[in-house]
Amino acid sequence: MIESRRPDVHLGRGFWMATAIYAILSIAAIAYWSVTPLSQWLPAASNTATEIDRFTRFLLAAGSALFIFVAGYVIYFAFAFRRRPTDPPDAIGVQVHGSHRLEFAWTFGAAAFVVLLSVISVAIWYGVEFQSTPGLVVEAIGHQWYYTFRYPGINGEVTQEMHVPVDTPLTVNVTSADVIHSFWVPGLRIKADMVPGLINTMHFVATRVGRYPIICTEFCGTLHGQMNKQVFVVDSKADFQKWYRDWQIKNAHVSNALPAAPGGGASGIDLSKGVATAGKALFAQKCSACHAIAPFEHRIVGPGLLGVLHDPKHPNLVNGKPATPADVAQILLNGYDGSMGHMPNATQNGLSAQDIANLVAYLETLK
Amino acid sequence: MAVAAAHVGGIADHIHPEPQGFIRKYIFSLDHKIIGIQYLVTGFVFFVLAGLLAEIIRVQLMHANGGFVSADTYNEVYSIHGSAMVWLVVIPLLTGGFGNLVMPIMIGARDVAFPWLNMLSFWIFPISGLMLFSSFLMGAPVAGWTEYPPMSLQAQGFGTSMWALAIFLVGVSSTLTGMNFLVTMLKMRAPGMTFTRMPLFVWGQLATAPLLMVATTALAAALAALFMERVFGVPFYDPTKGGSPILWQHMFWFYSHPAVYIMILPGFGIISEVLSTFSRKPPFGYRMIAFSSMAIALFGFMVWAHHMFVAGIAPFLQLPFMVLTYAIAVPTGVKIFSWIATLWGGSLRLTTAMLFAIGFLILFTLGGISGVFLAAIPFDMHTNGTYFVVAHFHYVLVGGSLMSIFAGMYYWFPKMAGRLLNEALGKLHFWLFTLGFNGTFLPMHWLGFMGMPRRVATYDPQFQFWNQFESISSFVMTLGILIFFANVLWSIKYGKKSGPNPWGGRTLEWMIASPPPYYNFKHIPKVFARPYDYSQPLPYKGLEEELTTAKPEPVPAGAH
Repeated sequence: MIESRRPDVHLGRGFWMATAIYAILSIAAIAYWSVTPLSQWLPAASNTATEIDRFTRFLLAAGSALFIFVAGYVIYFAFAFRRRPTDPPDAIGVQVHGSHRLEFAWTFGAAAFVVLLSVISVAIWYGVEFQSTPGLVVEAIGHQWYYTFRYPGINGEVTQEMHVPVDTPLTVNVTSADVIHSFWVPGLRIKADMVPGLINTMHFVATRVGRYPIICTEFCGTLHGQMNKQVFVVDSKADFQKWYRDWQIKNAHVSNALPAAPGGGASGIDLSKGVATAGKALFAQKCSACHAIAPFEHRIVGPGLLGVLHDPKHPNLVNGKPATPADVAQILLNGYDGSMGHMPNATQNGLSAQDIANLVAYLETLK
Repeated sequence: MAVAAAHVGGIADHIHPEPQGFIRKYIFSLDHKIIGIQYLVTGFVFFVLAGLLAEIIRVQLMHANGGFVSADTYNEVYSIHGSAMVWLVVIPLLTGGFGNLVMPIMIGARDVAFPWLNMLSFWIFPISGLMLFSSFLMGAPVAGWTEYPPMSLQAQGFGTSMWALAIFLVGVSSTLTGMNFLVTMLKMRAPGMTFTRMPLFVWGQLATAPLLMVATTALAAALAALFMERVFGVPFYDPTKGGSPILWQHMFWFYSHPAVYIMILPGFGIISEVLSTFSRKPPFGYRMIAFSSMAIALFGFMVWAHHMFVAGIAPFLQLPFMVLTYAIAVPTGVKIFSWIATLWGGSLRLTTAMLFAIGFLILFTLGGISGVFLAAIPFDMHTNGTYFVVAHFHYVLVGGSLMSIFAGMYYWFPKMAGRLLNEALGKLHFWLFTLGFNGTFLPMHWLGFMGMPRRVATYDPQFQFWNQFESISSFVMTLGILIFFANVLWSIKYGKKSGPNPWGGRTLEWMIASPPPYYNFKHIPKVFARPYDYSQPLPYKGLEEELTTAKPEPVPAGAH
């Protein structure tokens, strides 16, 4: 065996040739992804899309370069070191067990790349995730198998198309009325799952007028595949105003408007109109992520709300006032921020005056 | 005295009498090799069934408006396809199958630590498989292999509950196998077989066994809760009753992300063995390959929420999951680089097993790169839940795990059958499979990016061209797989006789007859070094009689 050992193979001309070719190919790939806008395949109609595309092109450039070298060396080595018919049948390779220098180099090379990638990702992620001004707050609700939308100042729900004004900061809160859906607008690179009991939020600015399909990417039942028919419409500001006013008129008779802003008294809320069954459905949609229907001590994020209006052991609400329907409504409208924690206000939760009345009616039934 | 001492040392140095009769020998066998073959046969039967489901999916997607099966049937089909491929094919083939078949021999043991437990693990597996497929008769689950509630609570019929029971049971089987293997590898290594002398396949199993034991229990809890909620109405996940749908996602992925490594670490082991044997070279950086498996297993527990970036977890929680996921690229990259360096300077025999190992290197790298893409929150925000994800995990599970399974089959088939698989058919299998695979899954990357969601029975007509391309490619891939099965069936009977060591392998399984005798070794060998230095004599002592007609040691009196 030892006699048939092949002489040491060093990194010969072939290896350096191959390396040079892969280097050129990698540089070409990097150059290609640096200058190629992804919007030629998919419109990029928001500030988020611009950022994500920039990041994706970085990933594609780095990934292509890495893949060219890995696949290239695998193929080149498989070819260059293949056993030839002239080789003795017991020919063996160079008996190298490793190289501390090389192993050290590629471990730290990979680690350094991971650090670089982390820094870039966090920077992009921060810009996308934390866009400061709330701007226009719109709510999208997933149903089997369609979306509805709620706008401040428009009563009830908007159906069919979702319109937003161009170049305006937007906050889209999403939730679901039944199972988990997802709200994806590929043209704007925005997505959030619509989870019953939870409100997920997206901030962005739509930058290009146009019509972009809204697509559900979380399996939601039989017609999941057809939950791609509704359109996210980015209007010019004038067009949006017109569309908005049309819906205000159309829905004027519906008595369920989102409050434009929290603060002020609960005077706009007519508690006598509350419907407990509607409140129950709403609770599952918007409250149940943080509040259990269980005794006070059963805490998820906030306390359990079983008997919130009837519990002699806990007669006061978080703000120190006695638990009356009007005070519960007050907290639902204005939220709470203090030593006991954070409760979102009606705008953040997307609750209309009617919603609050319904929720209070429902909470009253819990004994 | 000698017997007692042997058991104290943990090495079964006496030989139990071989059971007689067909049933004791081949059906309710205690022999790890037979159990391994049982796992392989059962796993491949389920592979055929789940593969047929995959072809139903591809035929349905030939047209944008579907039309081959109804949307509900389609949903059942892809749900069972995914569940079966993960739990009934890849995991059992790689752990129960190849792990049982060669791991005990590789460490110089006569069997696993608990042969009866091993038999129990195996028999749970086909039963749970039949339960899973039987759910088609009672309204199969529709919400994919992930079965997110509330969707999985809404599904009618007993099928989804049956799914939960079946997966729970197959999880029990996995957990037992993990325990069994871990004890075997810790306690039953031959004298001199230190950890750093173990073959790399054993290292792959050593990294996998704790994952099987720990992660699977989280899944069991999640499934038990799902079952109780569906059958008895105990609310865990239903938000209208105060449950949390996100809770399921956490529990599910706490298992299912480590499960990804359960499905690849043993495959890494196979690749290390095959590359070394056919390059006639030691694996480059043995220690780094071995330890990186352990690092991947450890990190695998800390990244589960990267599946949930758009599901609604707090932003500050997303960040560590992204960075830790990136960190896994380091040990994985080290492995890939080490394997490439193993090829360098070798004397490569491009057998079918080697072709699959080389194909693995390229395809798994692509799957790894797209994995890093998806780990990046900004990219995931766009592609989560799309065909890009489908492309990614098929590159990892088919381009990675399944390629390693095929490599292992061509490599170890002679050890099982005493005959070689046909090389000409093998190469045809390789090329058809590889071309078909890439044609099927490569276009999914851009389909996903451009707006095609996953799990849809109908889709936007603009994607029809590439879907047809994929479906036709999938037929080519299937043809390759059929050739593989034909090859196996033909070669069992008519294959070229292999002898004990057709590949010039240096690990212990090649030192004994093919197929090996019931007791594996007449005498437990002593090990002096790592197996992989091809310029040195074999580092074993005590194997002189293995290939002779000498009788094994007689059973000592008092042995049980």
